[in-house]
Amino acid sequence: MTYQIELDRVEKHYGRFHALKEISLAIPKGQFVALVGPSGCGKSTLLRSIAGLERITSGTLRIAGEPVNDLPPRKRDLAMVFQSYALYPHMSVRDNLTYALRLKGVSRAERARRAEEVAAVIGLETLLDRRPRELSGGQRQRVAMGRAIIRQPRAFLFDEPLSNLDAALRVRMRKEVRALHDRIGATSVYVTHDQIEAMTMADHVVVLQAGRIEQQGTPMALYDRPANRFVAGFIGSPAMNFMPGVIAGDGRAVRLALPGNPVLETAIAGTPGLEVEVGIRPEHMVLGPLDAPHAVPLVVSAVETTGAASYLFTEGEPELIVTTEGTAAIRADDTIGVSIDPARVHLFEPETGASLRSAKL
Amino acid sequence: MTRILRSLRDGIGFDVMLVIIALSYLLVFAGLPLIYNVIISFQTVDVFSLGTLWHPNAGFDNYRAIFDDPLAGRVLWQTIVFTLGSVALQFTLGFALALFFHQNFTGATWIRGLFLAAWVMPGLVVGVLWNWLLSGDFGVINHLLESFGLIEDPVFWRSNVETSLYAVLIANIWYGTPFNMILLAVGLAAIPGDLYEAAELDGANAFQRFWTITLPMMRATIGAVLALGIIFTLQQFDLFAAITQGGPAGSSTVAQYWSWQLSFREFDFGRGAVISVLMIIVVLFVSLIYVRSTKAETQL
Repeated sequence: MTYQIELDRVEKHYGRFHALKEISLAIPKGQFVALVGPSGCGKSTLLRSIAGLERITSGTLRIAGEPVNDLPPRKRDLAMVFQSYALYPHMSVRDNLTYALRLKGVSRAERARRAEEVAAVIGLETLLDRRPRELSGGQRQRVAMGRAIIRQPRAFLFDEPLSNLDAALRVRMRKEVRALHDRIGATSVYVTHDQIEAMTMADHVVVLQAGRIEQQGTPMALYDRPANRFVAGFIGSPAMNFMPGVIAGDGRAVRLALPGNPVLETAIAGTPGLEVEVGIRPEHMVLGPLDAPHAVPLVVSAVETTGAASYLFTEGEPELIVTTEGTAAIRADDTIGVSIDPARVHLFEPETGASLRSAKL
Repeated sequence: MTRILRSLRDGIGFDVMLVIIALSYLLVFAGLPLIYNVIISFQTVDVFSLGTLWHPNAGFDNYRAIFDDPLAGRVLWQTIVFTLGSVALQFTLGFALALFFHQNFTGATWIRGLFLAAWVMPGLVVGVLWNWLLSGDFGVINHLLESFGLIEDPVFWRSNVETSLYAVLIANIWYGTPFNMILLAVGLAAIPGDLYEAAELDGANAFQRFWTITLPMMRATIGAVLALGIIFTLQQFDLFAAITQGGPAGSSTVAQYWSWQLSFREFDFGRGAVISVLMIIVVLFVSLIYVRSTKAETQL
């Protein structure tokens, strides 16, 4: 199968700085892929390398099966939406939209027709004669999107396009961008530092750290089966709780360094006596009566509530977060009983951070 | 009294004071001389009446004398050639250099800084320098042209009526190019880099990016640079004084030099003033373009 975008062991060096390390990634036509990671992880460099704005040092980059390592950006037939939008300030919205068509020599009538068509799609029909400086942030964002879709390119590249918008608009645009992608059957690569954006929008999420792909897969695969401690901590909100533990019994149980040293029967096999790092998501720690079997007594240090859910922060080291639905009648200094679903426990090797489950599989 | 003092310290009084200082400076050192210059262009002023504040009225006699002067047409033509030639070439070379150093190769900023050396030199020194370079018998330029076989006999640049204006023109282009380069480089640096990246992805080649992004985005800067270039060229005096003294036979006399010759060589201050009045009108018009350009700059 030929992929729309395919990277094969791509490397990028800036002098002595190794920005991208052995990146292999295959994106089928029509897929929405999110590149996510903390700042400086190389996600933008990767996107700019696909665009051709950066030259890759080695490896192969193919677009629709054709190697494009040596093609300049203008010959790659990709459209990019920039974080700053990069609208041409001296042109009207209409001219911004049709700039690429004008360069291609599309006739004036055809350009006008396509501009109207795209303006209708992005909801900017009445603003075609404005200059970018006369538009609001959200409208500029739409123009940037329109400028990309009018060209019907082979793929869309998004570089944190929503990060300059306010929170409410960002949530709305999230849905709109994804709907647009589906409607025009596009192939999209979307860079973001916001894992919620990546999880909610993408079919396929690529987690990067320090220039390396830590894990890639569907959002739920990353959530349910993180390959290592980094991915486990990065995906999910609030972040996963980590605590030390020791493999106990016949290797199918783990003893947690929590009050009462509870032992959980897990489905993961390990060497008894091995020290591990145990990860449990806040939403998988269930609030229950203190005297329930296996309930861990924890003292609450602070409560944050969003209305729909409450986050209980516990005292002691390490600090844990427990999520409960709705507004809990729990205050700081209360003691709560928490039971842990053994099936949702993750174990990591302390040194490498690799998941024990994936090591055995 | 304390109210005025407090206003000076914390309030609007300080702003008003700054404006008053600047305005009084302008009025005393620019406004009054300018008005006085217009007045004496309508008077008969010679060495004998120079000491008095008020001189005999001359009506439009000075203006008539200037327009009837056989030199007038040539001076006008030479001024136009000198000004347009200087501005066009200073601008073109300055823009080319600014684009070149915008490529950000190693040492670009340093070398660009070195170019300013020409601009910080006093005009008279530049004039003397070019006297040597352009000299007929031992000048480097003649030597180079001869070694490349472009000329057979030495050209006496400064004393030939055909070339004297161009001798000063060449020196002035060299003198003014760095200034153009720096202003244009600032304009180039102000264009966000992602516009070029967006244009590149939209399919624009280097030439198209220059025409559709660089030039339109630089419109305000270009207007300002051209206007300043015209004004500075009309002020250029040192190079003429050092290289040709307007000669031979007036072949390199431009308006500003003629004005000086009339006033301070022939001591006919009335006629000298006429030329400066005419030049002020031109400069005022160019200044309007400058002001409009800088206004457009703030809007973008």
